[in-house]
Amino acid sequence: MNVPSEHLLILAAILFAIGLGGFLLRRNVIVVLMSIELMLNAANIVFLAGARQHASESGHWLPDGPVMVTFVIAVAAVEAAVGLALVIALFRRKQTVSLDQLSPTSD
Amino acid sequence: MVDLLFYVAAALCVLCALGVVVSANPVQSVLMLLGSFVGISLIYLLAGFQFLAAIQILVYGGAIMVLFLFVVMLLNQGDPAVLASEQGLLSKAQLAGGLAVAGSALALLLAAVVRTEIPRPIFGYLWPEGGLDPLVGMAQAMFGPYVLAFEGASVLLLTTAVGVMTLAKRQRSKPSVKAAPLSSTTEGSA
Repeated sequence: MNVPSEHLLILAAILFAIGLGGFLLRRNVIVVLMSIELMLNAANIVFLAGARQHASESGHWLPDGPVMVTFVIAVAAVEAAVGLALVIALFRRKQTVSLDQLSPTSD
Repeated sequence: MVDLLFYVAAALCVLCALGVVVSANPVQSVLMLLGSFVGISLIYLLAGFQFLAAIQILVYGGAIMVLFLFVVMLLNQGDPAVLASEQGLLSKAQLAGGLAVAGSALALLLAAVVRTEIPRPIFGYLWPEGGLDPLVGMAQAMFGPYVLAFEGASVLLLTTAVGVMTLAKRQRSKPSVKAAPLSSTTEGSA
């Protein structure tokens, strides 16, 4: 594929901004966690765009970008697991997943 | 042709990502997120990262999405009654503030991309040798310079497994915990 790296970076920027918007605007904790996953994926795209750009300029592949992506995926899995466990624990106590009703100032 | 496929995948990603944020029903959000991940995986595939595309589908599409879907179902989030009770509109100020922050982040990132001169490679963009991402190099890097991070990741995963079990376990010792609506559904998983 001969798509220039700029387009990959622009896609990553758009995905990150959408994730950030969801993170800030949504009240459902589960959707907020999903928005974080979107932002992490945007970072992954940037890593791979960088790896591809470097390889195409220098002629040899550096493994650092793909390795970082695997680490990011591992951390994303951990984050989702812990976040959802916390959501379940919170739901048991408060019977809601709405951030408005979960905030300490609401009751 | 392949380039066109990239733009199709990118459009799929962006539209599905918007769907995640916009749709009121969390079940729809999860499915939209799945579509977004499939698009991203397709982009990895087109860029020559087959291994990472497979990992993306397996870990994100297979594991994380199932986890999200499971929690949405467990907490009854798709129930119309629950949706109606928790659906309050954001105030104008909240909406404007959130959109402003997200929009300015987007503007900042786009400006950074546009203003940076990224040289075009003379012979076009390389594919990894044999069309596979540099797996040997990746393995060597993971057990070479990144070995500490690799071990840290395994410790992190183990800690998470234990921690999540502790967090999600029902506390039977405290009778004051009100778990009535969940008691029937968590019986199987506990």
